[in-house]
Amino acid sequence: MAVIQAILDGIMIGGVYAVISLVFGVMGIINFAQAEFLMLGMFVAYYAWAWLGLDPLIAAPLAFVVVFALGAVVHQLMIRRVLQAPVVAQIFLTVGLLIVLENAALVMFGSSFRSVTTPYQTSALQVGELFVSVPYLAAFLMSVACGVALWLFMRASWFGRAMRATAQDPMAARLMGINADAMHRLAFALGVALTAFGGAVILPYLTVSPTVGGQFVVLMFTVVVLGGLGSVAGAVVGGLAVGIIQSLSALAFPIQLQNLVLFVVFIAVLALRPEGLLGGSR
Amino acid sequence: MKLGLSKRQVALIALALAVAIVLPFAFDARGYTIRILCLGLLFAAMAQAWNIVGGLANQMSLGHAAFFGIGAYTSTLLLIHFGISPWLGLIASGVLGGVAAFAISLPTMRLRGHYFALATLAFGEVMRVIGNSWSDLTGGPVGISVPFAKPSFVMFQFADTRTYYWLMLAAFIVVTAVFVAIKHSRTGYRLQAIKENADAAEVIGVDTTRTKIIAAIVSGALTACLGTFYAQFQYFFDPDTVFGVASVSIRVAMIAIVGGIGTAAGPLLGALFVIPLEEAANQVFSAQVAGLAQLVFGTLLIIVILVEPRGFIVLWQRLVARRKPGGPS
Repeated sequence: MAVIQAILDGIMIGGVYAVISLVFGVMGIINFAQAEFLMLGMFVAYYAWAWLGLDPLIAAPLAFVVVFALGAVVHQLMIRRVLQAPVVAQIFLTVGLLIVLENAALVMFGSSFRSVTTPYQTSALQVGELFVSVPYLAAFLMSVACGVALWLFMRASWFGRAMRATAQDPMAARLMGINADAMHRLAFALGVALTAFGGAVILPYLTVSPTVGGQFVVLMFTVVVLGGLGSVAGAVVGGLAVGIIQSLSALAFPIQLQNLVLFVVFIAVLALRPEGLLGGSR
Repeated sequence: MKLGLSKRQVALIALALAVAIVLPFAFDARGYTIRILCLGLLFAAMAQAWNIVGGLANQMSLGHAAFFGIGAYTSTLLLIHFGISPWLGLIASGVLGGVAAFAISLPTMRLRGHYFALATLAFGEVMRVIGNSWSDLTGGPVGISVPFAKPSFVMFQFADTRTYYWLMLAAFIVVTAVFVAIKHSRTGYRLQAIKENADAAEVIGVDTTRTKIIAAIVSGALTACLGTFYAQFQYFFDPDTVFGVASVSIRVAMIAIVGGIGTAAGPLLGALFVIPLEEAANQVFSAQVAGLAQLVFGTLLIIVILVEPRGFIVLWQRLVARRKPGGPS
């Protein structure tokens, strides 16, 4: 029973992992600072709760919008300039961004851990012998809704199609009159905004601090590497897998070793599938 | 081995070396400045060791803290439990660091670019988690102290900070010599070929995996030895410091990049710029706001990457070339 319960919890948290990793690594750049945008999303939701009294689930779209704008600016000022640069520049630009965002948050918000209180925080639904934690369920459902919305956007809207076309073949997309740079910026902003959205919906069951991103960095990379870069279905599979792995390893190992299992899985996946799942020569 | 140095360059290096050797006499032997210089040299040596993998093989490791921490803990634990001199511990550190580098090389060597960086990052984090969790061995998150002995060469403990300075200087020179030797060796040219075009190198018969593993082992072993130096210099450390992503892995990579990745002088330039700047930022800001010094550090990294990702050395060459048209560009 404990195992089934753990799998259920894993699916719940894994759904969120899927969404925060959805548009991550699309178009060939891996953003080491991605988890910092999750932290920013959590802070937006926190202050929306503290100042405006908004529930984090309601503030999630706000976090999305704020971080979307920030992402577009970051892309315009920095990311855009290293797209043609050597890999070393691409890696260390986003590493620098990671350091800047984390410490800017430390300067602005202080190092204390903050959490919100919501009426449903400690409640759980009982289904047979299983319990479904309400904040887990709410975060999961919000993530599913967000994922479906994104999927529709990518399928049905002109922007979504243009973005996928650019990811496939930038040159051909340009020839069709698509502004590839704008699409790239849109993809980047969308990726970090989704991550921020995920950060907001998990706030009811987590605490936020400027260093919270560190807990998610390897986790998010594991999701995308497991599932395949830029693939929505892959991110869902990867997210659920990571959630379940994490939840099951909590049964077998003390809490501080929980991440260790994830790291080992991560290295193993990379080793067994070199070049990640792109399979190209990047 | 042909280094291709001009007479002027040889003279410059000799002069710099002479200045470096007598420099400590200009400062208070127990003062603060000399400690910063020691750390600067230590980090220059670490960046140089990183440079073997990052600069020559173009493999962006973000996990060098793993080797550094292994080295710091190996010699310290041998000293605590068996009373073994840190000099022998240094050898053990180097061996273990090399073994660790070999072990992590096997699954990661075929990875390129971002994926290699990610895998090594995870490896460093694995070591940090182990260091924090395995309290029976490492003392856990509270850290570990090097037992204080009567200052002597045998015990690698000195009352005079200048002695550490000269040791750090020697360490930097040794690591740099290894770097230069590899760069101009057969392995170095193979690494160069891999860097330019890995597929082409493979086609003309370069065993890319083997070559990269050799580079990784040398780099890992040297970094572990420097971990012992750090332990004997600081007398106290904890897993988050020696296995830290920001405090070690990113910092050594950044120093090499800021100075000039793949060049012998780059790590020294980078360290002499970054370490004092960090200390100054800590002095000025940290009393007021936590994180401000790190913020400066991150901003600097972004600026360097955006302005000239090949570092100060190329930046300097560009400036010189602009001043006198027709000069080397």
